[in-house]
Amino acid sequence: MNFFLAVIKQTLRNLVQTWKSQLLTLMTIALSVLIFAFFYLLYTNALHTARQLDDDLRLIVYLDEEPSPAMQEEYRNKIQKFDRVERIDFISRHDAFNRFAEQLDEDREILADMPKDFLPPSIEVYPFRSLVTLTKIKRFSDYLLTLPGVLKVQYGREWVERFYSFIKLLRIVVILSGTLLILTTTFMVANTIRLTLLGRKDELELLRLVGASTNYIRVPFFLEGALQGMTGSACGMIALFLLFNWIKLRFAVSSILAMFEFTFFPLPVIAIIILVSTLLCAIGSFSSTRKFLQL
Amino acid sequence: MSEHQEEPKLMIDLVKVSKTYLPDIQALSDVSLSVRKGEIVFLTGKSGAGKSTLLRLLTRMEKPTKGVIEVSGHDLNLISTVKLQILRRSIGFAFQDFKLLPERTVAENIAIAMEVSYTRPSVMQTRIRKLLQRLGLVEKHNTPTSGLSRGEQQRVAIARALANNPELILADEPTGNLDSETTEMVMALFRQYNQQGATLVIATHDTSIYQGTSHRVIELREGRIVARGDEEPEAEAPAPDPALAFADDLFSDE
Repeated sequence: MNFFLAVIKQTLRNLVQTWKSQLLTLMTIALSVLIFAFFYLLYTNALHTARQLDDDLRLIVYLDEEPSPAMQEEYRNKIQKFDRVERIDFISRHDAFNRFAEQLDEDREILADMPKDFLPPSIEVYPFRSLVTLTKIKRFSDYLLTLPGVLKVQYGREWVERFYSFIKLLRIVVILSGTLLILTTTFMVANTIRLTLLGRKDELELLRLVGASTNYIRVPFFLEGALQGMTGSACGMIALFLLFNWIKLRFAVSSILAMFEFTFFPLPVIAIIILVSTLLCAIGSFSSTRKFLQL
Repeated sequence: MSEHQEEPKLMIDLVKVSKTYLPDIQALSDVSLSVRKGEIVFLTGKSGAGKSTLLRLLTRMEKPTKGVIEVSGHDLNLISTVKLQILRRSIGFAFQDFKLLPERTVAENIAIAMEVSYTRPSVMQTRIRKLLQRLGLVEKHNTPTSGLSRGEQQRVAIARALANNPELILADEPTGNLDSETTEMVMALFRQYNQQGATLVIATHDTSIYQGTSHRVIELREGRIVARGDEEPEAEAPAPDPALAFADDLFSDE
């Protein structure tokens, strides 16, 4: 029998002997992963949605006078100086009138007696679509107001701020649930291993007396921890996938949720979550055996 | 004392070894003793004389308060963890309290000593079967040790101590729970291992197992050696013995 076979045999024996506490730990890990992954999924989807909504995000800078081509270039430079933007469009009084008329559609007759230059000229600034843009948009707006000839700057301020607050809140929840995941997995596994070690004190003493190597004693517990982490997190991810599909089927068709496209984690993200949980549990187990066995 | 490079002639060498338990219990006082390879030594004395303490010191289950202990050329005060683990694999210890795992079967308990040495499963099974046969426990192969009598448990503990073909066998009261017939069976087995080359140190109250013996009988009283038997006898040359056939048979599977 080689080392690996002996260690695997010992690990399986450990698992069978303490299956009740193993099951409890497994469920706790699965639940922690489920909670964390749920909020993280919500967060990633919120970011995705933000990107979709950002398509309409633009800052409209109203000017008091029609800018000359030289002035347009100066505006362009000053805007680019603050931040790189995706696009800058100059809308003349005439263009603004035409747009307005288009929007009124059948009611455009009401504009018949209006002069064609009654609307102010404007610059439409399309920022790059990212969360960073959202956080900077107020400062961007304040900056644009300082430019010469600017009357007013408009953007979906209330919406942007609310959405940004929501994302900020989600980010905090993700961090908290992530911390919860780290604490639970590490401490629960460390605790289960400690209980197992206490329960098998006599056997461990005997193993030492008959000359078992440090690795022969320690590796099965390490494997046990890693196995708990892997199985527990995999169960958590499966539960989340089922929950995700249920929510999608149950709510997405008939509610506001239908407006947005929700996606599950891509495979690499799933693999990373499982890998990190496995690693955390292995560390928990390792520290526990190290302390208890003083190896 | 430094660890020797060449094959040592002494299996055990104790120099002025003392062991004091807190607060002030002197278990051993200035014990000096040498045991040659292949020798059988009986440690006798009343309860509390220090026999079990001496055996525990020999496997470094405990450390001496002072003095030097060498086993198979290794100074136990200086030995590294890895070397101690390897040394322990070559020592078979039949503990007074047996140290059996009650929920495991007889075979599993015996296998533990061989598993840590990564012995092949087929070899383990053969050795277990032969030892159980020799100790009259064949029927108990798959019985959890919690379901055995004290005498049977003692024999399982002895089988485990012998299973790994040890160079040094330490037996603490190995016949304490056995009838005279089984005692003779166990002693015959010990003699067979000795004739194979193993060194034996047997701590016992049982006068019947060393009466009339040609081996050294060392008496301990209040932690001191009071009688040494024959001083430092030469190691007995393995004599032709029918019992050898069993030992040969036992390890012929490797």
